[in-house]
Amino acid sequence: MTTTRRNLFKLAGGATVGVLFTPAPWRLLTDTALLSETWPGVPVPRHGEVTFQFGNCSLCPAGCAVRARSVANQPVSLAGVPAHPLSHGALCAFGIAGHHLPYHPDRLKSGPVAAADAAVRTALGQLRDTERCAVLDLRPGRTASWTYRRAMAAIHNGIYLAPLEPVPVNLAAAKTVLSLGAPLFDNWGTPGNVIAARDHFRLIQVEPVESRTAAMADLWLPIRPDSEEALVLGLANLLLADKKVAGLPAGFTDRVREFPPTVAASRSGIGEQQIAALAHELQNNGPALVLGANGSPYAAALNLILGAPGHTLVSRREAPVPDEWKKAAPVSDLASVRDGSIGVLLIDESVTGDAPPWSAIQPKLANKAVVVTFAWSKDGYGRQATYTLPTAVYPETVDDIPPAVDSPAAAFRLSAAWIAPPDGVANPADFVGALAGIAVKDALQERAAAIRKSGRGSLFVPSSATSTPARDVKPDDFWKMLQAGATWIDDVDANAAPPKLDLAFPAEAPNQVLPLVVAVTEPDAPALVSPLLSKLYQESNLHLPPQSVALHPSDARSCGLETGSHARLETGCGSIAVDVIVDPDVPPGVVEVSGGPGIRKICGASSRARVVRS
Amino acid sequence: MTNPNKPVKAARYGMAIDLDRCSGCGACMVACAVENNVPPAHQGANDRKGLTWVRVYKVDNGGEGDGRRSAFIPVMCQHCGNETPCVHVCPQQAVDVDPSTGVVGEMPERCLGCRYCMAACPYHARYFNWWDPAWPAGMEKALNPDVSPRMRGVVEKCNFCHGRWHAARRQAVADGKSDMEPVAYLPACAEACPAKAITFGDLNDAASPVAVAAKDCNSFRLLEKLDTDPKIHYISKRDWVRRIADAPRPGDGKESRRG
Repeated sequence: MTTTRRNLFKLAGGATVGVLFTPAPWRLLTDTALLSETWPGVPVPRHGEVTFQFGNCSLCPAGCAVRARSVANQPVSLAGVPAHPLSHGALCAFGIAGHHLPYHPDRLKSGPVAAADAAVRTALGQLRDTERCAVLDLRPGRTASWTYRRAMAAIHNGIYLAPLEPVPVNLAAAKTVLSLGAPLFDNWGTPGNVIAARDHFRLIQVEPVESRTAAMADLWLPIRPDSEEALVLGLANLLLADKKVAGLPAGFTDRVREFPPTVAASRSGIGEQQIAALAHELQNNGPALVLGANGSPYAAALNLILGAPGHTLVSRREAPVPDEWKKAAPVSDLASVRDGSIGVLLIDESVTGDAPPWSAIQPKLANKAVVVTFAWSKDGYGRQATYTLPTAVYPETVDDIPPAVDSPAAAFRLSAAWIAPPDGVANPADFVGALAGIAVKDALQERAAAIRKSGRGSLFVPSSATSTPARDVKPDDFWKMLQAGATWIDDVDANAAPPKLDLAFPAEAPNQVLPLVVAVTEPDAPALVSPLLSKLYQESNLHLPPQSVALHPSDARSCGLETGSHARLETGCGSIAVDVIVDPDVPPGVVEVSGGPGIRKICGASSRARVVRS
Repeated sequence: MTNPNKPVKAARYGMAIDLDRCSGCGACMVACAVENNVPPAHQGANDRKGLTWVRVYKVDNGGEGDGRRSAFIPVMCQHCGNETPCVHVCPQQAVDVDPSTGVVGEMPERCLGCRYCMAACPYHARYFNWWDPAWPAGMEKALNPDVSPRMRGVVEKCNFCHGRWHAARRQAVADGKSDMEPVAYLPACAEACPAKAITFGDLNDAASPVAVAAKDCNSFRLLEKLDTDPKIHYISKRDWVRRIADAPRPGDGKESRRG
């Protein structure tokens, strides 16, 4: 064979085509890909000994039991404790990623602690007789709350302020639950307890928007916005008939007479027959329970008519405290404080709770009042306070978690402290205790000793999933077990008197300038949430993004807004910047707002709003 | 060629999800991201460019007013057992079906990022890494050491928490059992579901809760007409929810409104 130029080309061409049919080039491609996978930007997880620890989540009052899987003492994943008698193994989306909070970019790590301490002490020395030093506690009932109360009793003109605690609910005793917009399946109460009780009651959700709770209800009644009161009065009209119920305010019974079912039906948009069927079901498929959003007095009145107190609404004893603590300041309501009378205000914002809007706090402050807030981030009262002091976040500090609204018995459990807090953070209880000269270092242990001494209740130990009567546990072991994640649960007080319901009906406010009814359909989020929660809104459509509102297209048009517009949500309690989403699923006349502390503060006590382009 | 690791008795892991219990809380989505080191959203990520190995869709019956009802459907890789579409189209052999577990696995080290598998997947359950994985400073300490973070430019998806399966096998061996037998374990989403809506186990074990649930008269699978034999079974007593199974993608109409 002669070697010609043509043959050389043929050989080269044939070889090239032939190589394509061998694994070689494809293998090369794979190897190229392998090289591209090992870029230095990809973090390498740490390895080490795997251990499991138990604790309790303190992100909300539910206090769900948590099991942490730690690698080299660093929690890498959190899960519920299945046999737990209160949380039944459930953990919400916030709790599952709670171990990320110490690394949140918006988290405060240092602040002017010494300067704030000096300013508060100076201000306390200069307080006039008419001025007061106040502590505002967003989650009362904790050991820290008792420290604040003791400190305010020791400080001249001290006052302890806290939101009113809702009447405890016994969901397990209910056969029919009528919810007037209560977010039963959006982190209301203890999520695991709600789910565990769910199979035993029929849920009727009355709400203008089809929330997650409405989707899970046996019956969803889409009510005309802001007309729940008319429905309750109509139901009361049928339920009361000629019956007299002790404790109902005269004004209420007078109004009930004005709301026969025809009137209630025309106001609420719910059919007359449906209202009659609802009244029949509440009366005949008891025990019934009525849940209202924000402690509605209308829900309380209906509960009274249905005989819920003592059955589905219960009295709960508080976990015992040492006798020497009982000389403490009483719990006061912010509204009862005289305007312009608070010279020093200390706010414990390090826990999630019902936060009053700044518009309710500001009038109570004296001229040049010193306001110190203890917070995880600047987003809360930090915008208005004189000093914002950073605190440890979950899971960096040990604190106790009082029982949630759906716990018929008292409970005592400690939050987990699995990660060391940064050096620059302040402990609000230590700070306030030091002002009054009270040693608070061992307060939790002292309270645990008082609980053990009472001999009441039982101790659930998560590592062995067993409950033991508290009196059978040695005092030292009792404290050690609590530190290891155990939960003390009180005995239900069978002789307790039925709870008193708050039937103070608010004066009718002229709200005509605010055309939209607020519907909060997202769970009440803590001040900080894991960045991974972006999976639920930014990377999918499951939840409304934080700081956003959804409007019906007709409402959006009349406000000159479209999806993506920047706007301000204004309520009677203040305003906040929001992003707008236009959604035909939102009923006309309703503004659906996302969760988050900022929005809750201005929407919590206000049912009407408007959205203005900014 | 024989596979020395092939168990004597192969498992066929699968799930049964009770849609009547799912409240759309999203705990499964977050737990999955924590377990599998899925990074938080990049600033430019949206519902089409995000990484959600399991995604909960809100669907409704199309009714208006009081006739409207909604439900939530968690959708993840359906681990097709028959003619697995993504396996067939991958030019890199980066996708395979493990004969010992029935799990459709993805090897990101082999993936070239051509996204043929994404186009082929009828369930839209595969996600492309558009950006370098990044966590806020310090949060990388909380990564799960059993799962390697993936690089930008590869496709990723649910693998029934392979890291947990390996850990369960190691534990079985440590307990003196044979690693040739199927092991019992729970993926993160099943463990996290507060409503206990997700049951996981070996579909080959007729007595297992998942196999019993899969045979429930209200059980159905997504796009069964494609005959891909998915291993995710859904359960609902509501007719209209069962009819959603034949839609090309759950929650289609909702996509453009939010997100």
